[in-house]
Amino acid sequence: MDNEHMETEPVDQPSSPPKDSFIPEIDSSAAADVEMKDDLHEPSESNPIVSADSSKSPDSEIVYPIAVLIDELKHEDLNFRLKAIKSLQTIALALGPQRTRDELIPFLDETIDDEDEVLLALAEELGNFVPCVGGVEYSHILLRPLENLASLEETVVRDKAVSSINTISQSTSQEQVENFLVPCIARLSEGEWFASRAGATKLYPIAFEKALPDTQTLLLNGFEKLCKDDTPMVRRSAAIALNEFIKVMSVDVVISHGLKFASLFLNDDQDSVRLLILDPLVSIAKALSAEQNVTYLSESLNQIYTDKSWRVRFVLGEKLVELANALKDPSLQNNLSEVAIKLMQDQEAEVRGAVCTQISGLSELIPLEDIIDKLLPHLELLSEDPMQHVRANLAKNITSLCKKFGPERTISHLLPIFLRILKDSFPEVRLNIISQLDQINQVIGIDQLSQSLLPAIFELAEDKQWRVRLAIIEYVPLLASELGVQFYDEKLSNLSMSWLGDPVYSIRQAATVNLKSLIDIFGIDWACKSVIPKIMAMATHPNYLYRITTVFAITTLAPSITPNVIVELVLPTVESLMADPIPNIRFNVAKSIEAIAPVLSSDKSTSDLIDSRIKPILEKLLSDQDRDVRSFATRAFQKIDVASK
Amino acid sequence: MVSSALDKQIEKLLKCELLSENEVQDLCEKAREILLEESNVQRVDSPVTICGDIHGQFFDLKELFKVGGNCPETNYLFMGDFVDRGLYSVETFLLLLAFKVRYPDRVTLIRGNHESRQITQVYGFYDECMRKYGSSEVWRNCCSIFDLLSLAAIIDDRIFCVHGGLSPYITHVDQIRTIDRNQEVPHEGAMCDLLWSDPEDIENWGISPRGAGYLFGENVVNTFLYYNDLQMIARAHQLVMEGYKLMFGGKCVTVWSAPNYCYRCGNVASILEFDEYLKQEYKIFEAAPQGTRNISQQKSLPDYFL
Repeated sequence: MDNEHMETEPVDQPSSPPKDSFIPEIDSSAAADVEMKDDLHEPSESNPIVSADSSKSPDSEIVYPIAVLIDELKHEDLNFRLKAIKSLQTIALALGPQRTRDELIPFLDETIDDEDEVLLALAEELGNFVPCVGGVEYSHILLRPLENLASLEETVVRDKAVSSINTISQSTSQEQVENFLVPCIARLSEGEWFASRAGATKLYPIAFEKALPDTQTLLLNGFEKLCKDDTPMVRRSAAIALNEFIKVMSVDVVISHGLKFASLFLNDDQDSVRLLILDPLVSIAKALSAEQNVTYLSESLNQIYTDKSWRVRFVLGEKLVELANALKDPSLQNNLSEVAIKLMQDQEAEVRGAVCTQISGLSELIPLEDIIDKLLPHLELLSEDPMQHVRANLAKNITSLCKKFGPERTISHLLPIFLRILKDSFPEVRLNIISQLDQINQVIGIDQLSQSLLPAIFELAEDKQWRVRLAIIEYVPLLASELGVQFYDEKLSNLSMSWLGDPVYSIRQAATVNLKSLIDIFGIDWACKSVIPKIMAMATHPNYLYRITTVFAITTLAPSITPNVIVELVLPTVESLMADPIPNIRFNVAKSIEAIAPVLSSDKSTSDLIDSRIKPILEKLLSDQDRDVRSFATRAFQKIDVASK
Repeated sequence: MVSSALDKQIEKLLKCELLSENEVQDLCEKAREILLEESNVQRVDSPVTICGDIHGQFFDLKELFKVGGNCPETNYLFMGDFVDRGLYSVETFLLLLAFKVRYPDRVTLIRGNHESRQITQVYGFYDECMRKYGSSEVWRNCCSIFDLLSLAAIIDDRIFCVHGGLSPYITHVDQIRTIDRNQEVPHEGAMCDLLWSDPEDIENWGISPRGAGYLFGENVVNTFLYYNDLQMIARAHQLVMEGYKLMFGGKCVTVWSAPNYCYRCGNVASILEFDEYLKQEYKIFEAAPQGTRNISQQKSLPDYFL
């Protein structure tokens, strides 16, 4: 068996354990000393390391000298350096805007060359730094250090720096954009290393929005260059940035340039670039009118519909409805529903699964007859798809059709598919449709639902996957409230009780909660007749895990039953279980008393039972030989005492 | 009440949140007092549910509690290998330890071969502590607790529970009681064998391919059970695709409680419930579904994965 090969640890054990080599031995004893001194409040004698640490009281932080900052930024411990970066604003506040601009920013620009984590924190801090340098009119000062960070190879740092530049630029003036941001973009775009060019792409939209017309032309040319960059990473960034770019372009520019950029990406030989074009296409379609979409986009759309990379078709599948809504034109939309049907038959399971998520949106776009004639046959096929996650996606989404279909057609056309999905061999698929039962219920009504689906539900109630059983249990109160007492007693009662004896603990617990909901629906008389006696009968089960279920049920049900029922039917069982040989039962009896006592004391006729019957139980448990029983009994006693006062 | 801080820590751990270094130190301090009182072969009363290797699969441990019952409602005996391999060794071990401290009579922990300084430095627990705390303090605290864990347990004087198996140096349970267990797991000898051996379809003893411990056969088991008036041996230590495996006519069982071991083996897991009459019931369970795991774990896939 392969497990023996998986665990052949000691063969290559080092003969002498390396434990001493990397553990500084003084650590623990020194730390212990420090703590003791702290306790004794002897500040004057504490050791120097501690006093340096504790000097960071709120007061002293305000006059934090820049020298300390420099020290901390050079500290060996990463956490110190991070903390220093996070307190930059405080330092800037102390220095005032002038010195922050003249000293702090240049200092940061020159000296910081650190681990990515520190740089990330810096990039983020600088985004919030505008007030510290004297307001918007000086905000361009921050571009210098951020520009450096925006050209780093580490994506997280670069993205944060770029987003900080974008934040700052939101409020800058046209003049600042022209004089500082545009040159900064130009430098980044000309950068030798791909990272700076990739960073630059995301700055174009905001600059374009604020720049003068002539500069706008320059920016468009610059961006086009990046769209044609040799490095796919840059083209990917440009494709992502294009989406925002389109949103700030006028319709004319979209037609003159936006379409050109999009078609560059559409013809890219990397599918990882092509798949990013869907979002910009949606934005273009939104910007243009229905007729313009027909004129300018038909060709591009056809190209993407037939892309040979499944990853592109996958993204298309996920965005079908979004795209259709943006296109506005009925003929294009019609075309797209044809595409949907084609994607449902795609060779790649990922693609088929992606289209399934669009069913609800598609049903809004396609007339009912077409859904029935064209779409439905393919949905039927998908319900028998060889890939389970395709079926799982279908199960989750197909019930959204019910509304459009109405009661009769749901029963005639959709129900057969639902029934097949309910019998799927894969539990997640079954669960997905069970969790949508109320959607079906709303349309066809509970009567129809129970007639056609109940047999399947009964089968699932005994499913060997306990999570499927759990989903069914949670559905029982709804079924019961709709179908009434008689139906429940005939059809569901045995099932509900059998869950109390389920081998899985979570099911037994859910079963008690289920019974509480049922008592709330059907009332206390019903409970006395049909439920409580059966629960109490389980108190004699030979296995403690099932006897404990009785105690759980008592705890759960107590708030829903009346004081005299507790006295007549419940208390005797509690009194017998308090002498149970297994301590787990006894301490749960103590817990259940916490739930019973408030109910008894709420009624005058039973409130004196607290003293005569409840407290004796607890007193007995207080002298139990098991410490957990004593501990829970003590807690229950305290709660009752508090309540009576 | 003293236990309220502890209850808060348990609550935190149940959500898979880390304790602070100081909290870990406190917890280990309390655990030390309790574990020092326990013997090498801990006496356990039925009813009790026994569990095999967990290996830091925190969310699958929670699945185990969902199937077997929560602590303290259900009594548990964990047969070692709480750490290494999985992504949440720290949270897993500390949760079990916190349960042990809060409910010492409801939970029993015995030592597995992975509860060792050397093994945890190779198989992930040490690295995980460094990653999550930035220092080896928590790892050192945990290792000093490992040294105090019992080596075996006996349920109602009938069922012998141990992580690995038997040792040729031990014919009577009393011999285990004489070991000084407060030490790193040695490379050979009785203590090592208890944590490393495996049962095998042979007559007597064999060399273990693991390089530590022995293979022991049916005769060995029968003799050991006879001399010590025991009914069966329950142990963990070996992956079993079906969750548990009975051998030698039901006299030795392997219980494995890490479903989809290492998140890729595709096995189911099991626990073994002994009721108050020592009747056995095996509960099989599968790995926790994706939705119940930490979401932050899944989100961080870089975008080139599409």
